[in-house]
Amino acid sequence: MLMKKIKYRNMKKYFIIPTVIIISILSWVGCTDFPIDEDGLLITTRAQCYVSNFELLGVDYQTVRTASAVIDTTAQTINVNVFYGTDLKNLWPQFSLVTDAKLDPKITSFTDFSDLANPKQWTVISGNRKVRKTYTVFVTVQQKP
Amino acid sequence: MLHKYYSLILVLLLAVFITACQEEEYSLPTAESGLQNDCIKRTLGPNMVGMNIEFAYAMALLPSEGKIVSAQVEATIAGATGTYLENKSYYTNSSGQDVGIAIGDASVTTGTKTVVTFTKDTCAATLRYYYRIPEEARGKSVDFIFSAKASNGQTVSYEMGSYNIAKMDMKLDLLAKDGAACYISITDMAVYDAAGAAANAAKIDLVYLHRLISGITFSHALVSPANTEYLPGITLPSGVSNSSKEIKAWNLRDQQLARLQYGIFIDDVDFQQIDFTNAPNYAINMKAESGLWVETTDGKYRAYIFVNKVDDTKKEMTLSIKRLQVK
Repeated sequence: MLMKKIKYRNMKKYFIIPTVIIISILSWVGCTDFPIDEDGLLITTRAQCYVSNFELLGVDYQTVRTASAVIDTTAQTINVNVFYGTDLKNLWPQFSLVTDAKLDPKITSFTDFSDLANPKQWTVISGNRKVRKTYTVFVTVQQKP
Repeated sequence: MLHKYYSLILVLLLAVFITACQEEEYSLPTAESGLQNDCIKRTLGPNMVGMNIEFAYAMALLPSEGKIVSAQVEATIAGATGTYLENKSYYTNSSGQDVGIAIGDASVTTGTKTVVTFTKDTCAATLRYYYRIPEEARGKSVDFIFSAKASNGQTVSYEMGSYNIAKMDMKLDLLAKDGAACYISITDMAVYDAAGAAANAAKIDLVYLHRLISGITFSHALVSPANTEYLPGITLPSGVSNSSKEIKAWNLRDQQLARLQYGIFIDDVDFQQIDFTNAPNYAINMKAESGLWVETTDGKYRAYIFVNKVDDTKKEMTLSIKRLQVK
Protein backbone atom coordinates (compact mmCIF):
# COMPACT_ATOMS: atom_id res chain seq x y z
CA MET A 1 0.00 0.00 0.00
CA LEU A 2 2.82 2.37 0.98
CA MET A 3 4.80 1.49 -2.19
CA LYS A 4 1.76 2.31 -4.34
CA LYS A 5 1.48 5.71 -2.67
CA ILE A 6 5.15 6.47 -3.31
CA LYS A 7 4.80 5.43 -6.98
CA TYR A 8 1.77 7.65 -7.38
CA ARG A 9 3.66 10.59 -5.85
CA ASN A 10 6.61 10.05 -8.21
CA MET A 11 4.31 9.80 -11.20
CA LYS A 12 2.64 13.03 -10.13
CA LYS A 13 6.01 14.70 -9.68
CA TYR A 14 7.62 13.64 -12.95
CA PHE A 15 4.74 13.28 -15.33
CA ILE A 16 1.45 14.93 -14.42
CA ILE A 17 2.81 18.29 -13.21
CA PRO A 18 5.11 18.93 -16.25
CA THR A 19 2.33 17.85 -18.61
CA VAL A 20 -0.12 20.26 -17.06
CA ILE A 21 2.46 23.08 -17.27
CA ILE A 22 3.22 22.37 -20.96
CA ILE A 23 -0.46 22.20 -21.90
CA SER A 24 -1.08 25.49 -20.07
CA ILE A 25 1.79 27.20 -21.96
CA LEU A 26 0.59 25.86 -25.30
CA SER A 27 -2.97 26.99 -24.62
CA TRP A 28 -1.77 30.46 -23.68
CA VAL A 29 0.42 30.76 -26.79
CA GLY A 30 -2.37 29.42 -28.98
CA CYS A 31 -4.83 31.97 -27.72
CA THR A 32 -2.55 35.02 -27.99
CA ASP A 33 -3.75 37.20 -30.86
CA PHE A 34 -0.90 38.49 -33.08
CA PRO A 35 -2.23 41.14 -35.44
CA ILE A 36 -1.63 40.65 -39.16
CA ASP A 37 -2.07 43.08 -42.02
CA GLU A 38 -3.99 42.73 -45.31
CA ASP A 39 -1.10 40.74 -46.81
CA GLY A 40 -1.12 38.26 -43.96
CA LEU A 41 2.13 39.70 -42.61
CA LEU A 42 2.76 40.15 -38.92
CA ILE A 43 2.32 43.67 -37.57
CA THR A 44 5.07 44.23 -35.06
CA THR A 45 6.14 47.07 -32.79
CA ARG A 46 9.00 48.24 -35.03
CA ALA A 47 8.73 51.82 -36.24
CA GLN A 48 11.95 51.87 -38.32
CA CYS A 49 11.28 52.57 -41.97
CA TYR A 50 14.12 52.65 -44.48
CA VAL A 51 15.77 50.97 -47.46
CA SER A 52 19.03 49.29 -46.54
CA ASN A 53 20.12 48.08 -49.98
CA PHE A 54 19.04 48.39 -53.59
CA GLU A 55 19.71 46.17 -56.58
CA LEU A 56 18.71 46.49 -60.22
CA LEU A 57 18.69 43.42 -62.47
CA GLY A 58 18.46 43.10 -66.24
CA VAL A 59 16.39 40.52 -68.13
CA ASP A 60 19.20 38.02 -67.67
CA TYR A 61 18.90 38.55 -63.89
CA GLN A 62 22.39 40.01 -63.77
CA THR A 63 23.09 43.34 -62.16
CA VAL A 64 23.10 46.39 -64.41
CA ARG A 65 24.64 48.70 -61.79
CA THR A 66 28.06 50.16 -62.46
CA ALA A 67 28.51 50.71 -58.71
CA SER A 68 26.52 50.35 -55.49
CA ALA A 69 23.33 52.37 -55.39
CA VAL A 70 23.50 55.51 -53.25
CA ILE A 71 20.66 55.43 -50.73
CA ASP A 72 19.81 58.63 -48.89
CA THR A 73 17.43 57.69 -46.09
CA THR A 74 16.90 61.33 -45.12
CA ALA A 75 16.08 62.64 -48.58
CA GLN A 76 14.43 59.28 -49.33
CA THR A 77 16.21 58.88 -52.65
CA ILE A 78 18.08 56.10 -54.38
CA ASN A 79 20.58 57.00 -57.08
CA VAL A 80 21.81 54.22 -59.31
CA ASN A 81 24.03 54.36 -62.36
CA VAL A 82 23.60 51.61 -64.93
CA PHE A 83 25.81 50.31 -67.73
CA TYR A 84 25.78 51.83 -71.19
CA GLY A 85 23.34 49.85 -73.30
CA THR A 86 21.10 48.78 -70.43
CA ASP A 87 17.56 48.05 -71.57
CA LEU A 88 15.72 50.46 -69.27
CA LYS A 89 12.30 49.09 -70.19
CA ASN A 90 12.93 45.75 -68.55
CA LEU A 91 14.58 46.13 -65.17
CA TRP A 92 13.82 44.29 -61.95
CA PRO A 93 14.40 46.40 -58.85
CA GLN A 94 15.12 44.67 -55.57
CA PHE A 95 14.82 46.50 -52.25
CA SER A 96 16.30 45.33 -48.97
CA LEU A 97 14.26 46.83 -46.14
CA VAL A 98 14.65 47.18 -42.40
CA THR A 99 13.23 44.24 -40.40
CA ASP A 100 9.45 43.81 -40.58
CA ALA A 101 8.98 46.63 -43.12
CA LYS A 102 7.26 46.09 -46.44
CA LEU A 103 7.08 47.77 -49.84
CA ASP A 104 4.20 49.35 -51.70
CA PRO A 105 3.51 48.76 -54.54
CA LYS A 106 4.80 45.22 -54.63
CA ILE A 107 7.30 44.32 -57.35
CA THR A 108 6.04 41.34 -59.30
CA SER A 109 7.61 41.76 -62.74
CA PHE A 110 10.06 43.77 -64.77
CA THR A 111 9.58 47.52 -64.46
CA ASP A 112 9.94 50.20 -67.11
CA PHE A 113 12.51 52.80 -66.03
CA SER A 114 12.88 54.35 -69.49
CA ASP A 115 11.06 57.59 -68.58
CA LEU A 116 14.04 59.12 -66.82
CA ALA A 117 12.22 62.46 -66.35
CA ASN A 118 9.59 60.76 -64.19
CA PRO A 119 11.48 58.57 -61.76
CA LYS A 120 9.73 55.61 -60.17
CA GLN A 121 8.64 55.71 -56.55
CA TRP A 122 8.06 53.06 -53.91
CA THR A 123 6.80 53.48 -50.37
CA VAL A 124 8.37 51.67 -47.43
CA ILE A 125 5.94 50.83 -44.62
CA SER A 126 7.29 50.18 -41.13
CA GLY A 127 6.74 47.00 -39.13
CA ASN A 128 4.03 48.64 -37.01
CA ARG A 129 2.41 49.83 -40.27
CA LYS A 130 2.27 53.40 -38.92
CA VAL A 131 5.25 55.00 -40.70
CA ARG A 132 5.32 55.36 -44.49
CA LYS A 133 8.29 56.76 -46.41
CA THR A 134 8.27 57.20 -50.17
CA TYR A 135 11.60 56.61 -51.92
CA THR A 136 12.35 57.94 -55.39
CA VAL A 137 14.66 55.88 -57.61
CA PHE A 138 16.81 57.98 -59.94
CA VAL A 139 18.46 55.99 -62.73
CA THR A 140 21.33 57.39 -64.76
CA VAL A 141 22.94 55.64 -67.71
CA GLN A 142 26.68 55.41 -68.21
CA GLN A 143 27.53 57.62 -71.17
CA LYS A 144 29.77 56.79 -74.09
CA PRO A 145 32.82 59.11 -74.00
CA MET B 1 1.01 -2.18 -12.54
CA LEU B 2 3.73 0.19 -13.76
CA HIS B 3 6.31 -2.58 -13.50
CA LYS B 4 4.11 -4.73 -15.74
CA TYR B 5 4.15 -2.10 -18.50
CA TYR B 6 7.93 -1.62 -18.21
CA SER B 7 8.44 -5.34 -18.68
CA LEU B 8 6.21 -5.39 -21.71
CA ILE B 9 8.07 -2.48 -23.31
CA LEU B 10 11.40 -4.17 -22.57
CA VAL B 11 10.29 -7.38 -24.24
CA LEU B 12 9.08 -5.46 -27.29
CA LEU B 13 12.37 -3.57 -27.54
CA LEU B 14 14.35 -6.80 -27.34
CA ALA B 15 12.21 -8.27 -30.08
CA VAL B 16 12.95 -5.24 -32.28
CA PHE B 17 16.70 -5.51 -31.64
CA ILE B 18 16.77 -9.20 -32.42
CA THR B 19 14.84 -8.68 -35.65
CA ALA B 20 17.07 -5.77 -36.67
CA CYS B 21 20.26 -7.72 -36.10
CA GLN B 22 19.24 -10.83 -37.99
CA GLU B 23 21.54 -11.35 -40.92
CA GLU B 24 19.96 -12.14 -44.22
CA GLU B 25 22.15 -14.36 -46.29
CA TYR B 26 22.68 -13.33 -49.90
CA SER B 27 21.93 -15.84 -52.54
CA LEU B 28 22.48 -15.54 -56.25
CA PRO B 29 19.24 -14.83 -58.05
CA THR B 30 18.05 -17.66 -60.22
CA ALA B 31 17.83 -16.79 -63.89
CA GLU B 32 14.37 -17.09 -65.35
CA SER B 33 13.78 -19.65 -67.99
CA GLY B 34 13.09 -18.51 -71.56
CA LEU B 35 14.26 -15.63 -73.71
CA GLN B 36 14.22 -12.32 -71.77
CA ASN B 37 14.69 -8.75 -72.92
CA ASP B 38 14.87 -5.19 -71.63
CA CYS B 39 15.48 -1.77 -73.13
CA ILE B 40 16.46 1.73 -72.03
CA LYS B 41 16.63 5.04 -73.87
CA ARG B 42 20.06 6.56 -73.48
CA THR B 43 19.63 10.02 -74.97
CA LEU B 44 18.02 12.85 -73.05
CA GLY B 45 16.34 16.05 -74.09
CA PRO B 46 14.28 17.04 -77.12
CA ASN B 47 14.53 14.78 -80.17
CA MET B 48 15.49 16.83 -83.18
CA VAL B 49 15.63 16.07 -86.88
CA GLY B 50 19.13 15.01 -87.89
CA MET B 51 20.05 13.88 -84.40
CA ASN B 52 20.12 10.36 -82.99
CA ILE B 53 17.88 8.73 -80.44
CA GLU B 54 19.99 6.07 -78.77
CA PHE B 55 18.71 2.93 -77.05
CA ALA B 56 20.38 -0.04 -75.38
CA TYR B 57 18.52 -3.29 -76.01
CA ALA B 58 19.42 -6.28 -73.85
CA MET B 59 18.40 -9.86 -74.54
CA ALA B 60 19.36 -13.17 -72.92
CA LEU B 61 18.37 -16.77 -72.36
CA LEU B 62 19.92 -19.60 -70.37
CA PRO B 63 22.88 -21.20 -72.22
CA SER B 64 21.25 -24.59 -71.89
CA GLU B 65 18.16 -23.34 -73.73
CA GLY B 66 19.85 -22.15 -76.91
CA LYS B 67 21.45 -19.06 -78.41
CA ILE B 68 20.27 -15.74 -79.83
CA VAL B 69 19.73 -15.80 -83.57
CA SER B 70 18.75 -12.24 -84.40
CA ALA B 71 17.70 -8.87 -83.02
CA GLN B 72 15.42 -6.40 -84.73
CA VAL B 73 14.07 -2.89 -84.25
CA GLU B 74 11.02 -1.59 -86.03
CA ALA B 75 10.25 2.13 -85.99
CA THR B 76 6.90 3.63 -86.94
CA ILE B 77 8.72 6.10 -89.21
CA ALA B 78 11.76 4.86 -91.12
CA GLY B 79 14.99 6.34 -89.80
CA ALA B 80 17.22 8.53 -91.93
CA THR B 81 20.54 7.35 -93.35
CA GLY B 82 22.74 6.62 -90.37
CA THR B 83 20.16 4.58 -88.50
CA TYR B 84 21.68 1.32 -87.31
CA LEU B 85 21.66 -1.38 -84.69
CA GLU B 86 25.10 -2.14 -83.30
CA ASN B 87 26.51 -5.56 -84.08
CA LYS B 88 28.69 -5.29 -80.99
CA SER B 89 27.79 -6.09 -77.43
CA TYR B 90 29.56 -3.83 -74.96
CA TYR B 91 31.00 -4.37 -71.53
CA THR B 92 32.79 -1.88 -69.32
CA ASN B 93 36.41 -2.74 -68.53
CA SER B 94 38.32 -1.93 -65.35
CA SER B 95 39.29 1.51 -66.73
CA GLY B 96 35.66 2.42 -67.26
CA GLN B 97 35.92 2.12 -71.02
CA ASP B 98 33.18 0.48 -73.05
CA VAL B 99 34.64 -2.41 -75.02
CA GLY B 100 32.67 -3.83 -77.94
CA ILE B 101 32.63 -7.47 -78.99
CA ALA B 102 31.16 -8.27 -82.39
CA ILE B 103 28.34 -10.79 -82.14
CA GLY B 104 27.06 -10.69 -85.67
CA ASP B 105 27.00 -9.01 -89.04
CA ALA B 106 26.47 -5.28 -89.46
CA SER B 107 22.81 -4.38 -89.26
CA VAL B 108 20.66 -4.25 -92.35
CA THR B 109 17.93 -1.61 -92.56
CA THR B 110 15.00 -2.22 -94.83
CA GLY B 111 12.28 0.39 -94.63
CA THR B 112 11.30 0.74 -91.00
CA LYS B 113 13.11 -2.42 -89.86
CA THR B 114 16.73 -2.77 -88.77
CA VAL B 115 18.04 -6.29 -88.19
CA VAL B 116 21.26 -7.78 -86.84
CA THR B 117 21.84 -11.46 -87.54
CA PHE B 118 23.99 -13.11 -84.89
CA THR B 119 27.00 -15.10 -86.04
CA LYS B 120 28.55 -15.83 -82.65
CA ASP B 121 27.27 -18.47 -80.27
CA THR B 122 25.95 -16.14 -77.64
CA CYS B 123 23.12 -16.35 -75.17
CA ALA B 124 23.25 -12.75 -73.87
CA ALA B 125 23.92 -9.43 -75.60
CA THR B 126 23.16 -5.73 -75.23
CA LEU B 127 22.99 -3.94 -78.56
CA ARG B 128 22.75 -0.21 -79.04
CA TYR B 129 20.34 1.23 -81.52
CA TYR B 130 20.83 4.63 -83.13
CA TYR B 131 17.77 6.09 -84.78
CA ARG B 132 18.66 9.07 -86.98
CA ILE B 133 15.57 11.25 -86.93
CA PRO B 134 14.34 11.86 -90.48
CA GLU B 135 12.79 15.06 -91.80
CA GLU B 136 9.38 13.39 -92.21
CA ALA B 137 9.22 12.78 -88.46
CA ARG B 138 9.35 16.52 -87.62
CA GLY B 139 6.51 17.40 -85.27
CA LYS B 140 5.28 13.80 -85.13
CA SER B 141 5.83 11.00 -82.66
CA VAL B 142 7.79 7.80 -83.18
CA ASP B 143 7.41 4.39 -81.53
CA PHE B 144 9.78 1.46 -81.56
CA ILE B 145 9.39 -2.28 -81.17
CA PHE B 146 12.57 -4.11 -80.22
CA SER B 147 12.52 -7.88 -80.67
CA ALA B 148 14.87 -10.83 -80.45
CA LYS B 149 14.73 -14.41 -81.70
CA ALA B 150 16.40 -17.46 -80.14
CA SER B 151 17.54 -20.73 -81.72
CA ASN B 152 14.86 -22.60 -79.77
CA GLY B 153 12.20 -20.65 -81.64
CA GLN B 154 11.32 -18.31 -78.81
CA THR B 155 10.78 -14.62 -79.55
CA VAL B 156 10.44 -11.62 -77.27
CA SER B 157 9.64 -7.98 -77.92
CA TYR B 158 9.75 -4.70 -76.08
CA GLU B 159 7.85 -1.53 -76.99
CA MET B 160 9.44 1.89 -76.52
CA GLY B 161 7.79 5.25 -77.04
CA SER B 162 6.01 7.29 -78.07
CA TYR B 163 8.69 9.92 -78.53
CA ASN B 164 7.77 13.35 -79.80
CA ILE B 165 10.03 14.79 -82.45
CA ALA B 166 10.61 18.52 -82.00
CA LYS B 167 9.79 20.98 -84.73
CA MET B 168 12.83 23.13 -84.06
CA ASP B 169 16.16 23.08 -85.85
CA MET B 170 19.65 23.30 -84.49
CA LYS B 171 22.97 24.48 -85.85
CA LEU B 172 26.17 24.16 -83.86
CA ASP B 173 29.42 26.09 -83.66
CA LEU B 174 28.96 28.90 -86.16
CA LEU B 175 31.91 31.25 -86.13
CA ALA B 176 31.28 34.97 -86.31
CA LYS B 177 34.22 37.28 -86.80
CA ASP B 178 34.21 41.02 -86.34
CA GLY B 179 34.73 42.83 -89.63
CA ALA B 180 34.50 39.62 -91.68
CA ALA B 181 31.81 36.96 -91.37
CA CYS B 182 29.73 38.95 -88.91
CA TYR B 183 26.23 38.98 -90.41
CA ILE B 184 24.00 36.39 -88.78
CA SER B 185 20.87 35.04 -90.40
CA ILE B 186 18.34 33.25 -88.19
CA THR B 187 16.32 32.31 -91.27
CA ASP B 188 19.28 30.48 -92.81
CA MET B 189 20.99 29.70 -89.51
CA ALA B 190 24.20 30.88 -91.11
CA VAL B 191 26.86 33.57 -90.80
CA TYR B 192 27.67 35.68 -93.85
CA ASP B 193 30.40 38.10 -94.76
CA ALA B 194 29.56 41.50 -96.30
CA ALA B 195 29.12 40.10 -99.81
CA GLY B 196 26.92 37.26 -98.57
CA ALA B 197 24.93 39.68 -96.43
CA ALA B 198 24.31 41.94 -99.42
CA ALA B 199 23.05 38.95 -101.38
CA ASN B 200 20.79 37.87 -98.50
CA ALA B 201 19.97 41.29 -97.07
CA ALA B 202 16.40 40.46 -96.05
CA LYS B 203 17.59 37.47 -94.05
CA ILE B 204 20.23 39.23 -91.94
CA ASP B 205 18.95 39.52 -88.39
CA LEU B 206 22.01 40.29 -86.32
CA VAL B 207 25.44 41.81 -86.65
CA TYR B 208 28.30 40.57 -84.51
CA LEU B 209 30.90 43.09 -83.40
CA HIS B 210 33.54 43.45 -80.74
CA ARG B 211 34.57 46.86 -79.45
CA LEU B 212 36.76 48.03 -76.63
CA ILE B 213 35.55 51.51 -75.74
CA SER B 214 37.10 53.19 -72.72
CA GLY B 215 34.65 54.21 -70.03
CA ILE B 216 31.95 51.74 -71.01
CA THR B 217 31.55 47.97 -71.28
CA PHE B 218 30.73 47.06 -74.86
CA SER B 219 32.85 43.99 -75.65
CA HIS B 220 31.08 41.32 -77.75
CA ALA B 221 27.72 42.36 -79.14
CA LEU B 222 24.89 41.01 -81.27
CA VAL B 223 22.95 43.94 -82.63
CA SER B 224 20.07 44.27 -85.05
CA PRO B 225 21.11 46.07 -88.24
CA ALA B 226 18.38 48.67 -87.60
CA ASN B 227 20.01 49.89 -84.39
CA THR B 228 23.02 51.85 -85.59
CA GLU B 229 23.58 53.35 -82.12
CA TYR B 230 25.16 50.07 -81.10
CA LEU B 231 26.99 49.46 -84.38
CA PRO B 232 29.90 51.89 -84.09
CA GLY B 233 32.24 51.81 -87.07
CA ILE B 234 30.02 49.41 -89.03
CA THR B 235 28.94 50.19 -92.56
CA LEU B 236 26.08 47.88 -93.34
CA PRO B 237 25.83 46.24 -96.74
CA SER B 238 23.07 47.61 -98.89
CA GLY B 239 19.58 46.48 -97.87
CA VAL B 240 20.58 45.08 -94.48
CA SER B 241 18.15 46.77 -92.10
CA ASN B 242 16.17 44.21 -90.08
CA SER B 243 15.17 44.93 -86.52
CA SER B 244 15.01 41.66 -84.63
CA LYS B 245 13.96 41.57 -80.98
CA GLU B 246 16.46 40.30 -78.45
CA ILE B 247 16.33 39.10 -74.85
CA LYS B 248 19.55 38.36 -73.04
CA ALA B 249 19.81 35.23 -70.93
CA TRP B 250 22.28 33.94 -68.41
CA ASN B 251 22.62 30.50 -66.80
CA LEU B 252 20.62 28.99 -69.64
CA ARG B 253 23.19 26.55 -70.93
CA ASP B 254 21.16 24.23 -73.11
CA GLN B 255 22.82 20.85 -73.03
CA GLN B 256 22.49 20.26 -76.77
CA LEU B 257 23.91 23.67 -77.66
CA ALA B 258 26.54 23.97 -74.94
CA ARG B 259 27.44 20.29 -74.67
CA LEU B 260 28.39 20.99 -71.07
CA GLN B 261 27.37 19.22 -67.89
CA TYR B 262 24.16 21.16 -67.35
CA GLY B 263 20.92 19.25 -67.76
CA ILE B 264 18.93 22.10 -69.28
CA PHE B 265 17.06 21.64 -72.54
CA ILE B 266 15.25 24.22 -74.63
CA ASP B 267 12.25 22.74 -76.39
CA ASP B 268 9.58 23.93 -78.85
CA VAL B 269 7.32 25.08 -76.03
CA ASP B 270 9.94 27.52 -74.72
CA PHE B 271 9.94 29.37 -78.02
CA GLN B 272 6.17 29.47 -78.07
CA GLN B 273 5.90 30.87 -74.55
CA ILE B 274 8.57 33.55 -74.51
CA ASP B 275 7.22 37.09 -74.63
CA PHE B 276 9.11 39.54 -76.85
CA THR B 277 6.88 42.52 -76.03
CA ASN B 278 9.08 45.50 -75.15
CA ALA B 279 12.23 43.57 -76.03
CA PRO B 280 15.10 45.71 -77.37
CA ASN B 281 16.87 45.12 -80.67
CA TYR B 282 20.42 44.94 -79.38
CA ALA B 283 22.55 43.02 -76.90
CA ILE B 284 25.97 44.22 -75.91
CA ASN B 285 28.52 42.85 -73.45
CA MET B 286 27.77 39.24 -74.36
CA LYS B 287 29.93 36.74 -72.52
CA ALA B 288 30.87 33.12 -73.08
CA GLU B 289 28.09 30.77 -71.90
CA SER B 290 25.52 33.53 -72.09
CA GLY B 291 22.53 33.33 -74.40
CA LEU B 292 20.19 35.40 -76.47
CA TRP B 293 16.55 34.85 -77.41
CA VAL B 294 15.83 36.34 -80.81
CA GLU B 295 12.66 36.96 -82.79
CA THR B 296 13.06 37.89 -86.43
CA THR B 297 11.58 41.14 -87.74
CA ASP B 298 8.67 39.39 -89.45
CA GLY B 299 8.03 37.25 -86.35
CA LYS B 300 8.43 34.11 -88.44
CA TYR B 301 11.29 32.61 -86.47
CA ARG B 302 12.28 32.53 -82.85
CA ALA B 303 15.73 31.37 -81.87
CA TYR B 304 18.00 30.86 -78.93
CA ILE B 305 21.63 31.66 -79.55
CA PHE B 306 24.12 30.19 -77.11
CA VAL B 307 27.57 31.75 -76.97
CA ASN B 308 29.96 28.81 -76.80
CA LYS B 309 33.14 30.82 -76.89
CA VAL B 310 34.42 34.36 -77.30
CA ASP B 311 37.91 35.46 -78.23
CA ASP B 312 38.81 39.05 -77.37
CA THR B 313 42.07 38.98 -79.33
CA LYS B 314 40.71 37.50 -82.53
CA LYS B 315 37.38 39.34 -82.06
CA GLU B 316 35.46 36.15 -82.63
CA MET B 317 32.38 34.49 -81.23
CA THR B 318 31.45 30.81 -81.57
CA LEU B 319 27.71 30.40 -81.32
CA SER B 320 25.13 27.64 -81.58
CA ILE B 321 21.49 28.14 -82.51
CA LYS B 322 18.18 26.45 -81.83
CA ARG B 323 15.39 27.85 -83.94
CA LEU B 324 11.67 27.35 -84.31
CA GLN B 325 9.39 28.60 -87.04
CA VAL B 326 6.42 30.09 -85.21
CA LYS B 327 4.51 31.60 -88.13
